[in-house]
Amino acid sequence: MSLSALLSEYGDLYLRALLNTWRLTALCFAGAFAIGVAITVLRVCPVKPLRVFGDFFVQVFRNIPGAALLILLVYALPRLRVLLSYEMCVIVASVLIPSAFCSEHLMSGMNTISPGEIEAARALGLTFTQLIGRIVIPQALRSTVLPMTSLVVGTMLTTALGSQVPLRPNQLELTGAVNYINSRAVGGILAFAISAALYVATALVIGWVGGRIDRKVRILR
Amino acid sequence: MTQIQSRDVPVIELRHVDKHYGDLHVLKDISLSVGKGEVVVIIGPSGSGKSTLCRTVNRLETIDSGEILIEGVPLPQDGRQLAALRSRIGMVFQSFNLFSHMTVLDNMILAPTGVLKLNRKAAKDEAMALLDRVGVADQAHKLPAQLSGGQQQRAAIARALAMHPRAMLFDEPTSALDPEMIGEVLNVMTELAADGMTMLIVTHEMNFARRVASRVIFMDGGSIVEENTPEAFFTQPRSQRALDFLQSIRN
Ligand SMILES: Nc1ncnc2c1ncn2[C@@H]1O[C@H](COP(=O)(O)OP(=O)(O)O)[C@@H](O)[C@H]1O
Ligand SMILES: [Mg+2]
Repeated sequence: MSLSALLSEYGDLYLRALLNTWRLTALCFAGAFAIGVAITVLRVCPVKPLRVFGDFFVQVFRNIPGAALLILLVYALPRLRVLLSYEMCVIVASVLIPSAFCSEHLMSGMNTISPGEIEAARALGLTFTQLIGRIVIPQALRSTVLPMTSLVVGTMLTTALGSQVPLRPNQLELTGAVNYINSRAVGGILAFAISAALYVATALVIGWVGGRIDRKVRILR
Repeated sequence: MTQIQSRDVPVIELRHVDKHYGDLHVLKDISLSVGKGEVVVIIGPSGSGKSTLCRTVNRLETIDSGEILIEGVPLPQDGRQLAALRSRIGMVFQSFNLFSHMTVLDNMILAPTGVLKLNRKAAKDEAMALLDRVGVADQAHKLPAQLSGGQQQRAAIARALAMHPRAMLFDEPTSALDPEMIGEVLNVMTELAADGMTMLIVTHEMNFARRVASRVIFMDGGSIVEENTPEAFFTQPRSQRALDFLQSIRN
């Protein structure tokens, strides 16, 4: 099929798939970010079992392939009587894996904080929670905007796991849309190239926004 | 605590404090007290344990044995009580340690609002008054990195004062400063002393020590070698080690 034929026949599908990819990416990154922050707090808290749990969580989800996690969610959870929709399985996998990387970025961001500032905060009588919430996490976040930007892109690419489960046509994301088209027409490499171009364009926008934010919040030392 | 007690009980008291870093015996049987309104200056060669001593007072460093009392009450082990106690002892560091992601004003009001639960407006008004007192009110809306070292250190002193501390600890507050900025910080400290603040100061500024100290403590190798009046310490120290030290820094 030619580009114009593809677009005229499947233009709506691509558009919906693009919007679905954006929606999944935003949703999953928000979830990954919240869990990543929470896990990071556990990893530095004074309670040893919580630290161990946090490290374990990160080791597991940082090192498991997305497809393997998805298979576990789809086939193993029903045995535990937890029934998630296919889309929800994709979302859970695309939250958990990036959340581990989010925590790793935050941990390295924390290493940029001057130990003297931590001491000053303790000397002023800040509690652990205040120290984390007002000094440590804000500084760690502001020094990790660029890696977090890459993580948004990484999360977007992880949502391509959606192509590995049977979703309804209106739930398809960009990669799943290619499979769908190629199963009913000969879209070939071109069908894929359209999705790829949309991924790349999105990543460029994310990168540009990330760069702007980084310049704005980066900490002068 | 009754009036009579608060007059008699030292603000800071260390009794037979010992501390090791592994094999290094860094504080050896340290006993020391700082009464209300006293300015005690600690002098001694590098590595003698001055910073460590200073940092044990608000438990930034733990001790192996001995006792530390603040206004007659033993230091809490940890948790909220320790945080509450720390909030009543101001600390000024060699490296200023202003929070680098916040404006000077936000540095000032963080602990008063977060720890003392002051409302923002009251905290802000007081912060501005204190910044004015140390001469950096015009820098309130800048980030620490945009200030000179002397300005940062004066703001750090103001930040500690905003907590209405019972005592202030200074660990070489001018050692990281360019020479032309040392005076402005020492002036602020001199005024504080004149206002009756209880202070424990580690410094190498001998003229300042001589002028401001109620008592001088000379440390070497983790021990207090000599405790003396500033006049006597600087003119005729009792110990040979103090004499050697004073000679070495005069040359
Ligand atoms: N965290 C630490 N771990 C191990 N040794 C330390 C630590 N802090 C300080 N020391 C050692 O303890 C001794 C006293 O240090 P310090 O109190 O900083 O001395 P001063 O402030 O008088 O120069 C030094 O020998 C120093 O190397
Ligand atoms: Mg020192």
